[in-house]
Amino acid sequence: MNDKLIVGIADMKMAGDGEKLITYALGSCIGICLYEPRLKLAALVHIMLPLNMETGRKNAFKYADTGIRTTLREMELKGAQRAAITAKIAGGARMFEVSGGSLGNIGKRNSESVHQILRMEKIRLVWEDVGGTIARTMEFDSATGNGTIRSYGHPEIKF
Amino acid sequence: MRFWCGKGNRMEIKSYEDLSGLEIDTLKEIGSIGTGNAATALSQMIGKEVRITLPEVRIMGYNEAIEWIGGPEAITAGVLSQLGGEINGIMLSVQQMDFINLVLSNVLGRSVADFNMLQEMQISTLVEVGNIMISTFINALSGLADISIKLTVPAFAVDMQGAILTVPMAAYGGQSDYIMTIGGNFVCDNRQVPCRLLLSPDIRSLNFLLRKLGVMDE
Repeated sequence: MNDKLIVGIADMKMAGDGEKLITYALGSCIGICLYEPRLKLAALVHIMLPLNMETGRKNAFKYADTGIRTTLREMELKGAQRAAITAKIAGGARMFEVSGGSLGNIGKRNSESVHQILRMEKIRLVWEDVGGTIARTMEFDSATGNGTIRSYGHPEIKF
Repeated sequence: MRFWCGKGNRMEIKSYEDLSGLEIDTLKEIGSIGTGNAATALSQMIGKEVRITLPEVRIMGYNEAIEWIGGPEAITAGVLSQLGGEINGIMLSVQQMDFINLVLSNVLGRSVADFNMLQEMQISTLVEVGNIMISTFINALSGLADISIKLTVPAFAVDMQGAILTVPMAAYGGQSDYIMTIGGNFVCDNRQVPCRLLLSPDIRSLNFLLRKLGVMDE
């Protein structure tokens, strides 16, 4: 059993040859699993914010828009066909019930942005587990395009 | 890169990593006074002597911060308040199991074996302890810098600490690839107590605070 590739916060990794990807403790962040079944090419992006408005745009994977688009481009460079790529997403929770301010709805805005970008890029969203108030650890297997979600105090979910 | 203006005074910082040694020392001093006051408050609540270790000011990359707090998946309790008024920021009290039991056994006379055993009474005790520590820290800061700071009603969560720590990261993620924390650790019965009190200000507030403290000239 080879080690899983760890995807950090504001990070993306691609995997093939049956390798597994994992990203830990998605709170308001969203993990986006992109899969090209013909090549068995998997990518997992861990985004933190909905839209990239930064000058310089140094860190593409911090944001839903630049994160998803950069990943799709890198998958295509590896020979992936855009029309065959599907997406599975998890995260976008609300960790604290904070009254007022934008703090409480970052997760929701992330989720809306991910949906919109996927729609604009014509990527089919085949599965999602977003919202709620729990943190999720997401694991993604490049051999099958399936994965699992682990949370504290909840049964494991397979997707 | 450093920017200097007319009379040799430094202009505002644009990112946490622009902070000078003097500015960091000033923030450490705030951390020391804030945490010291919080330790006194904690000591009164649990009826035991509580000391503090040297305060730290850390400027960390996201993933570095998660490792520093002890890995992403460890379960902890977090009490969070948002700062408003003259400065904006987030203050977090991150409470690991040993701290929770230190509080519960001394305040309620009963400890718990796991986070899922926490009931309403215990949770409101933890929120209150977190709230008092955060408020004492902020009162000290507000007195020191002569600024008015409002705190929101504290919110509570028990979950993976990675997801708890990303709350301040995401709040200021549009401004920086780093998170800045000012805080310290507590020592009780000669043992380090796993509770961190972390203040994460946004960049604008940090500039304002440093100017108010006279470290950064106007």
